[in-house]
Amino acid sequence: MAALTLGAAGAQAPELLEPERAFRLSARPLDATTVEVRFAIADGYYLYRDKFKLGLEPGALAGAPELPPGKLKQDDFFGKVETYRGSVVARVSLAAPAPGAAVTLRAESQGCADRGVCYPPQVQKLALTLPPAGAGPGPIVEFAPAKKSWFK
Amino acid sequence: MLTLALYPAAMTRRGALVLLLVAGLVALGAGVYVGTGGRFAADEARTAQPAATLLALTLPDAAGHEVSLAQWRGQLLIVNFWATWCAPCREEMPEFARLQTEFGAKGLQFVGIAVDDADKVRQFAAEIRLNYPALMGGYGAMDLSRTLGNRLMALPFTVVINRDGRIAHTQLGPLKSEQLRQIVAKLI
Repeated sequence: MAALTLGAAGAQAPELLEPERAFRLSARPLDATTVEVRFAIADGYYLYRDKFKLGLEPGALAGAPELPPGKLKQDDFFGKVETYRGSVVARVSLAAPAPGAAVTLRAESQGCADRGVCYPPQVQKLALTLPPAGAGPGPIVEFAPAKKSWFK
Repeated sequence: MLTLALYPAAMTRRGALVLLLVAGLVALGAGVYVGTGGRFAADEARTAQPAATLLALTLPDAAGHEVSLAQWRGQLLIVNFWATWCAPCREEMPEFARLQTEFGAKGLQFVGIAVDDADKVRQFAAEIRLNYPALMGGYGAMDLSRTLGNRLMALPFTVVINRDGRIAHTQLGPLKSEQLRQIVAKLI
């Protein structure tokens, strides 16, 4: 198994990033209702707008998350698709304010690298605390990528 | 309270780490052992076992019929992990279909394993008139591709199995037509 892993790693171009490093997730609670979600996208990588799924648990959402328009691209199979490069900032809101509540952001995203490789949809979770009523935005919380295995 | 609640989790994690360490040492030991056994033994371990796992697979096609990969043992088999949501995957598939037509009678067989919904796979297969099996792998297929060297479980990922049932080539990312034709010419 060790031989296989090492052999395979040697056969691949080394510079392809793990998806959680190519698309770095962070989030900041803006108030007792709304969380700002940010993906910092590495150069040479992009995310698909229509693959985003954002949720907050527990609690019902106020509606669909706010996603900025992406760059339009004509896709042979899916027609017009929108992609993000550089970074994307979205907002997701609860239907009712929950001051001081502990919530979990669930962010699903899917993207590709320009060198012709796509990652499967990725689900990441972030634990956040919504600010108390009347307080300003909470701190930015960054998703911590898993440490590399010893055999990689 | 918090410490108490976290304690069992921490123990489990430590236990898992010890297990991983032991497994790692065993694997390293095996690596050294294979290494002293000479290059052939190392190649054998690296290419025969994962190829056998792949050849032992039975997966449904997009219509729900079970298809066994073992039927292509002894042929030059090219297994391509793909999805419709992967544009680079879709781009290289028409060339696979052309090679299937060109070299099929000489013993070349392409098999696609899709990480996707069956209806999308059917739609795309019809669109490009796919002439080789498109099997449904789901996310289990991604895990399998990892054991075959697809460390990041990205697509497209292609595995070439020669007539002796060994992995002759793995490729993450598109296979250029020229490169693919070279591989086929050498192994057919």
